[in-house]
Amino acid sequence: MDSWVIGMMLGVSIFLGSIALVAMMWAIKKGQFDDKEKFLNAALFDDESELNDAIKKEKKREDALKKKDYRPE
Amino acid sequence: MSDKIACSHCHLEFHEDVMIKDGEHYFCCNGCQGVFHLLMDEGLDAFYDKTKGVTLAPPTQQYEDSANFNAPAFYDKFVKTTKEGFYEVALVIEGIHCAACVWLNEKALINMDGVIATNINYTNNKAKIVWDDDMVKLSQIIDMIRAIGYDAYPYDVSLQEAKANKERKDYYLRIAVAIFATMNMMTIMVAQYAGYFSGISADIKHILNIGEWVLATPVLFYSGWPFFKGMYYGMKTKSVNMDTLVATGSLLTYIYSIYITLTRSGEAYFDSVTMIITFVLVGKFLEALSKKSIADTLDIMSKTLPSDVKVVRDNKIITLHVNDVLVGDIVLVNAGQRIALDGEIIEGNGTFDESSLTGESEPIHKTVGDSVISATVSIDADVKYRVTKDYAHSTMNNIVSLLENAMNSKPKIQQLANRLSEYFSTIILLLAAFTFIGWYAFSANFEHSFIIAIAVIVIACPCALALATPVATLVGLSIASKRGILFKEAAQLETMAKADVLALDKTGTITQGTPQIVHEEKFAEFDDSLLYSLLLNSKHPIAKAISTHIYKDDLVCFQLDNLKNIASQGITAMYKTKMLVGGNAKLMQTIGIDVTSSSENSEFYFAYDGKLFAKFELFDMPREDAVSAIAKIKKMGIEIIMLTGDHERSAKKVASLVGIDKYKFELTPQEKSQYIERLHNEKKVVVMAGDGVNDILALASSDIAIAMGNGSDIAIEVSDVVLLNDNLISLHESFKISKRTFAMIKQNLGLSLVYNTITIPLAMAGFIIPLIAALSMSLSSLLVVGNSLRIKFGYKD
Repeated sequence: MDSWVIGMMLGVSIFLGSIALVAMMWAIKKGQFDDKEKFLNAALFDDESELNDAIKKEKKREDALKKKDYRPE
Repeated sequence: MSDKIACSHCHLEFHEDVMIKDGEHYFCCNGCQGVFHLLMDEGLDAFYDKTKGVTLAPPTQQYEDSANFNAPAFYDKFVKTTKEGFYEVALVIEGIHCAACVWLNEKALINMDGVIATNINYTNNKAKIVWDDDMVKLSQIIDMIRAIGYDAYPYDVSLQEAKANKERKDYYLRIAVAIFATMNMMTIMVAQYAGYFSGISADIKHILNIGEWVLATPVLFYSGWPFFKGMYYGMKTKSVNMDTLVATGSLLTYIYSIYITLTRSGEAYFDSVTMIITFVLVGKFLEALSKKSIADTLDIMSKTLPSDVKVVRDNKIITLHVNDVLVGDIVLVNAGQRIALDGEIIEGNGTFDESSLTGESEPIHKTVGDSVISATVSIDADVKYRVTKDYAHSTMNNIVSLLENAMNSKPKIQQLANRLSEYFSTIILLLAAFTFIGWYAFSANFEHSFIIAIAVIVIACPCALALATPVATLVGLSIASKRGILFKEAAQLETMAKADVLALDKTGTITQGTPQIVHEEKFAEFDDSLLYSLLLNSKHPIAKAISTHIYKDDLVCFQLDNLKNIASQGITAMYKTKMLVGGNAKLMQTIGIDVTSSSENSEFYFAYDGKLFAKFELFDMPREDAVSAIAKIKKMGIEIIMLTGDHERSAKKVASLVGIDKYKFELTPQEKSQYIERLHNEKKVVVMAGDGVNDILALASSDIAIAMGNGSDIAIEVSDVVLLNDNLISLHESFKISKRTFAMIKQNLGLSLVYNTITIPLAMAGFIIPLIAALSMSLSSLLVVGNSLRIKFGYKD
């Protein structure tokens, strides 16, 4: 086996691994692991109504923002 | 009697006839009924599917007026504005027992108009709420939380807490990188070691070395950054610390390995660089993780005080922030409110609950001329009082600032490992320099001398020394936690092992905290239901103890009229036309029954229609294991002192029952802490165990504070060790475990020093070949880890 094959495999695997590492670091920075209980309990409350709530929440935020913009100072 | 029925809201079970029937549902109280209907109306009945089999606490109904939350002063203190122009507040929600409660709160809040976002933390029940103040006010949000059966109070997101969180996140990131690289490094090392023994082509070895180089670089410069920072600060203060050795050791090893890789000569040590940094970083992280923040403690304290009060000025009632109230102002207090400032009552009278300050659960009656103290609660009185001390000097604030001082200046016993590593690091660095100079003078070969000097640092690199303490404490901590003893900080094991004096609180620590019936006399037959109905109307611990004592399934609750709680005497009521009286001898004498008090126990008499029927004697008994635990702790050579706010008689009795020779009685919280300060001045290491609010100052000023698991929240917050099992045998065990762990730390340090005294001279002489260096480095770490596991012997679970 040529040594460049080893070099390439080593490089590719470190690169792939580091993608996963960066993804995890991003998640830590975003605070996805801040609440360990929520992480576990999320599985309990994970059906259609929760999805609808999430949409509703986003819409509410947009509406409120819009209203704020149009308000005369 | 019929079977018990579960309340439709809280699922607690009661007899059918005491419940409120409402269609097909039954409720134990109006509160539960109200919450139930609200949830049905809001379409949140899915909550009950999620709480099957869980009992909730019925909603309480004594709340301060929520309008206070809209006061500008309040907004100034707690509310922040977001980028988009919304308002944001941090709340602690009380009454959450399960995930469904969090679900319900989030759902109910997000259904409100104007609430933009909610985020409730499942672990600590802290909530962040963002809302649009033009559509909904904070008071409405808090009313909603209360309406569904919880309570919320705001807390100040202090800088300290934010800083601690940021630090923790920072560690996570650095450790993630370190562990990732170390694990990959290990797979490469398998090939390297295999190649070392069975031969490897120089090209492949070179490529593997470069791969290691790539992996080691982020570990050294990103994960290892705290060590470089530590070294920098150490240099600034002209001190050499563990960080210096880790940083120089790993950096030199790294440079040396790059040199080896580029010149293709010898063995590279990139693996040592990552291993050392990863291990030591994890050890550091574990210590940081267990550090408690003072911030949380003070949150609990200050939430108990209202932030603004109603003041009468110029015949007008105005709302002022507590800081703006002057001495001499007249303040209005309504029933159910907390007193914010110390003062003197000038109008009105009523009973006050002072339990938050004194630990005494009995309400106290106060009238014109009596002084009121901040943080106490007016139970039923609307009074006016004249402020005698401004907010900053009021009792509660005083205690908060005393506490803050005590916690910040908590005596720190210098840790053995730190002290040792300081000397060690200096010596190694000097030896390395000496080696270099020696070899250079001797051989005049710069390269060779430099490599040998680096070998000295590499071999001495304090893997074993750095691991000696964390590994041993970790094993100690895990054994302790399995036995229900929680140490909040790893270093405390060592401090506790050096303890000379144990100070114990009496009520709730040595004793059970609730009075037990020790003697019972019945002078005539009577219906227990009468006494039971009377006792249900008192919150006094004595009444509670007797009512649980006489409780039987067939007791009925009679309708009583004209109930009167007579402070520190007892309770009277009318049943039909006859008078029920329950209380102490003094109360009996006032209704014309002649009894003489002779016992050293608390007495409770019961009279009906002017005739004495029964007498109970109660005493707060020591815990069952108190005698044996105290004897065992004494045997370890620790002096035991009992500190109590109680009077001499009961202090003496308890002390002699459990075998304590030294006791101090009638101490105020401040005196308790002064006593501990005095012991400190005698150069003694003091452990204090307590449970109540009245112990917190003493707990905060002791070297190690131990709280009972069922103690007040604030006591648990302040303390370093919590005994979850709530017994005194765990107290003895925590001493035992800490002493054992400390002994192990000393052994570990000894082992790593022995290892170094053998290897360092060899390295200095230039005898260390690469294989031996690598092997012995791992071996010394293994030795330390293996030795630490020995703490477990004798603790089989």
